[in-house]
Amino acid sequence: MFKQQRIGIRFKIIIGYIVIICCLIVAGIVINERVTGLQQERNSLITYDTNMRVMSNNLERQILGMESALHRYMITEDEAFLEPYYQGLATWESKYHELENIAGNYSEGRHNLPVIYDSIDSWITQVGAPLIELLEAEATEQMIAIFNSKQSSVAMTDLQAQFTAFRTGENQAIQEQLQALDNVNKELTIALFLGIAFIALIAITIASTISRRIVGSITEVTETTSEIIHSSGDLSKRIKAGTNDEVRDLVETTNALLESLEKREWLQKNLAEVVTSYQGISSMEELGKVLLSSLVARTDSAYGAFYIQNQEDKAQFNKVAVYAEKSEDTSLLSFRKGEGLIGQCVLEKRTLKYENIQFLETSIGNVPLKNGVLIPVLFEHETIAVLEIATFNDFTPHEEVLIEEVVDNLGLTIDNILGRMEIIRLLNESQVMTEELQVQAEELQTQSEELQMQTEELTTINEKLEERTRYAEQKSIELQKTQKELEQSAEELLQSSNYKSEFLANMSHELRTPLNSILILSEMLAENGEKRLTEDEVEYANVIHTSGKDLLALINDILDLSKVEAGKMEVWFNEMDIYELPQYVERMFMPVAQQKGLDLNIQVSEQLDAVFYTDIKRLQQILNNLLSNAMKFTEHGQVQVIIDPANVTSKMKNYSDTWLAISVKDTGIGIPKEKQDLIFETFQQADGATVRKYGGTGLGLSICREFSKILGGWITVESIEGEGSSFTLYLPSLPNGVLKGMTQLPAPNQQAETAGQIEQTNMSHMFNNKHVLVVDDDHRNIYALKQALGQKGAITIEASNGLQCLEILQSQQPVDVVLMDIMMPEMDGYETMEHIRKDLKLVDLPIIALTAKAMKQDRDRAIAVGASDYISKPLNLDQLFSVLSVWLTDKEHSRNG
Amino acid sequence: MVRKKLELQLLLDAIYAVSGYDFRQYNQQSIMRRVLHRMRISNISTVSRLTELVIHDEEFLRMLLNDFSINVTEMFRNPTFFQAFREEVIPKLRQLPRIRIWHAGCATGEEVYSMAIVLKEEGLIERSIIYATDMNADVLKKAQKGAFPLHKMQAYTKNYLHSGGSEAFSKYYKTDEKYAYFQPCLLENITFAQHNLVTDQSFQEFDVIICRNVLIYFSSDLQIQVHRLFHESLAPNGYLGLGDKETLQFTPLADDYNIVNQTERIYQKK
Repeated sequence: MFKQQRIGIRFKIIIGYIVIICCLIVAGIVINERVTGLQQERNSLITYDTNMRVMSNNLERQILGMESALHRYMITEDEAFLEPYYQGLATWESKYHELENIAGNYSEGRHNLPVIYDSIDSWITQVGAPLIELLEAEATEQMIAIFNSKQSSVAMTDLQAQFTAFRTGENQAIQEQLQALDNVNKELTIALFLGIAFIALIAITIASTISRRIVGSITEVTETTSEIIHSSGDLSKRIKAGTNDEVRDLVETTNALLESLEKREWLQKNLAEVVTSYQGISSMEELGKVLLSSLVARTDSAYGAFYIQNQEDKAQFNKVAVYAEKSEDTSLLSFRKGEGLIGQCVLEKRTLKYENIQFLETSIGNVPLKNGVLIPVLFEHETIAVLEIATFNDFTPHEEVLIEEVVDNLGLTIDNILGRMEIIRLLNESQVMTEELQVQAEELQTQSEELQMQTEELTTINEKLEERTRYAEQKSIELQKTQKELEQSAEELLQSSNYKSEFLANMSHELRTPLNSILILSEMLAENGEKRLTEDEVEYANVIHTSGKDLLALINDILDLSKVEAGKMEVWFNEMDIYELPQYVERMFMPVAQQKGLDLNIQVSEQLDAVFYTDIKRLQQILNNLLSNAMKFTEHGQVQVIIDPANVTSKMKNYSDTWLAISVKDTGIGIPKEKQDLIFETFQQADGATVRKYGGTGLGLSICREFSKILGGWITVESIEGEGSSFTLYLPSLPNGVLKGMTQLPAPNQQAETAGQIEQTNMSHMFNNKHVLVVDDDHRNIYALKQALGQKGAITIEASNGLQCLEILQSQQPVDVVLMDIMMPEMDGYETMEHIRKDLKLVDLPIIALTAKAMKQDRDRAIAVGASDYISKPLNLDQLFSVLSVWLTDKEHSRNG
Repeated sequence: MVRKKLELQLLLDAIYAVSGYDFRQYNQQSIMRRVLHRMRISNISTVSRLTELVIHDEEFLRMLLNDFSINVTEMFRNPTFFQAFREEVIPKLRQLPRIRIWHAGCATGEEVYSMAIVLKEEGLIERSIIYATDMNADVLKKAQKGAFPLHKMQAYTKNYLHSGGSEAFSKYYKTDEKYAYFQPCLLENITFAQHNLVTDQSFQEFDVIICRNVLIYFSSDLQIQVHRLFHESLAPNGYLGLGDKETLQFTPLADDYNIVNQTERIYQKK
């Protein structure tokens, strides 16, 4: 290739400048010369002009002086006047020559000067000289004649004209020359501009040429570089240099850079590929496999093996991967530190190369390889793995670098992978633990749920218990109250009943006395002893007697009953023989039964003790009543009397070990279920119709019941309407009579039936004696509240502002609830509540804030400062009492019963 | 222990066969505790005796069923739940033309009335329907009365105020000496019905399902079953509110819901 002569950029620029400077110098010199010449010419012209004028004038004046000297002499004849003439005569020629000399340069002047000379000469010779001669000759007349001839003046005039013409001519010539000089000057100016233009042109040409050459090559480099950039790093391109200058240096350097970059890029690309190829790998075997295949492929190698340090035995290295191996035993499976070359490599921690040598100690069998390397993989200055690579060729330098770099990074990678393996192991462990935790969390959740549930169960049980307690409490309070009332009314009743009984007893007695006489007398009349009465009259007497007997029986019944009720019934407990009872019944009722056509059946259990302690008379009275009822209400069938030992319950046992159950059963009309309780009441029968049909006072069963109570027992009834009734008398054997409290034994079928009934309560008395503190600055409000609360029984305490409220609360006066207005003078509701809660520490005192408007922020503020609840004005009385009842109710128990 | 389990299983089988109430999948420890409780009270020595009574004595069965049904509830129970409901769910419900709410396991209805009050205060009660269900007909009767013991009202008032209520609580009730009776107008949009979460199916699509402190009594399998039922019954973007000890976290349906409020256990179906 043609080697260009090297011309540097600096050189080019300097040359350009020198050329331009030379041109400028040449032009300067030329122009300067020309300007100087012109100046000189002009100067000499001006000098000449001046000199010419001075000299010509001098000459002219001298000649004229000479003539005038002649004239003065002639006039004065003084020879002294002739002196200028002689002087002029002596010098005029030299002056003329002087003039001629300076005019010599100018041809115009020379032509005229000789004429002047001739004129002067002729004047001197023709006028002057003769005159002087005449003068010497003193020939005055002649002289005058000469003067008069005017020859001299003519000559003088001519001379003057000649001088003038000379000067004019010369002047004209000078002007012409000046004109010529001006022209030259103009030309010179034009030439100057042309020169400048020319130089400028040259400068531009040089500048553009040089800059083009410089910029051109730089642009080329730039373009190529940017092409490389834009071709996303295709470093294979090279820049061509068009010139041989610094740009070429630049290009060559850049190309060298590109070359180096290309190599580096190859290295990095391959390094990156190799490194990325084993990213995410989590086992050494896989790492070895991937590493070898990628590295061997990139370095044109033929064989590779990878050994890793044994984690347990650090001196032992195991083969984890091999590349292009024929069979497993071609290479060493493992080696120890220092064993063979490969072991040495571990020991020395440096790369060992071998060439064309077959080392048995290396893992390569008999394969003749040209080049091989054993490279220790270091991590923290310790060999943790060995890489072996062998090739049939030579490793290029960058292949070697690649291998080195890969191995440099490999230490960290292996450590990372070991770390990762450890992490995976730990992760697995933690997963197991997480699952365990999850299980435990769920168990905990379950336990927490169970706890919650147990709490709820407990709450339920608690609530039930509470409810029961409450109920029981309430009941007991109610019972106490009822008991009191009952006691009271019982007392009253007792008293009135006593009066009644006394009255009845007296009345019966009083009635009996007249009745007695009626009975006796009517009986006597009915007997009709004297046969004076008609049959009808006898019958009347019989009716009177029967009615009287009925009346007596009734009066006796009333008397008995009133005695019982007044507690005046006397009872005598005696020993009796039970087995006598049937005889008594039979004796008393068999005739009636036979009369009505009824069977009277009496059964006595044989298990009975014969001896029984009771009041026989009363027992007989009870049986009489029961049997007469049975006889009365039975039309057909039978009346049965069954005497059995009763089933003795533990309660009954408290009274007596021996109990009788005497049943009187009939097949009569029966008693409807709803009336079964009523029949024992005084003057009650099943219904009015019964009375009409069967007669009777309805006192019988009442007496039975009362008597049975007196005897320590009770009567029960079982009956089906239309089929019959069964009355059973339960009677204890009481040798010592009835003891205190015995009569209160309740009949089993008379259980309290009030339980479970929800009574409708009037809530007004829950305000009874409750102290309500009303805090309000408006007395009308207080008055209205006082009225309303007063109606419910509550006691109103007034406070017209917060301070008063606090005073009242501090005064230990009882206050159950506070109604607190918010807008107040002195101290408003918010402040007051804050004081109550914080300073007075009345944390549980219910305070109900009264706010003018249902504004949420007012309400929130009231609650924040300690109001228990709030209610908005204007007050709705229902709502007010609802709120008060909520806050007057004790949280745990409802004690207001 | 094995025998106890067997006995319990037989008892629950018997209850299911006799009454149709299925407690077989309830939390066994809890059921066992209640069975033992009943045995202690009624002085019964073995669970098998109890089974016998359950089969033959209707009254006893009713009593036992009552023991099983735990009806602990309060008005505005966990007030923060209602506050969160007000703040985070109500604004979304506002956009619906009709709001259907299912209160499953409503017990004596305290929380149903609370919800009705919240809806009333938010101006949504007119377009809401609350279905309040429980498997226990007795408690539903109580719930329908809307009468709550006076002595609990102070606590309820406090709860109401904490839940962000905007009115005077006394606006909603009248009292007598024992009870506070809630305004019948609150009842207008509440439908009470007997429904058994274990045996009954979904009956409608709902925008909100509230089921608080009910699932804790169920075994985890049954909980999942009921969660499926809820999921089926919820409209897309519908809300599920659970009790504060309950969670969707360990159920397969956890991914089907977005958490609206973790602490108050409010979830939204995806």
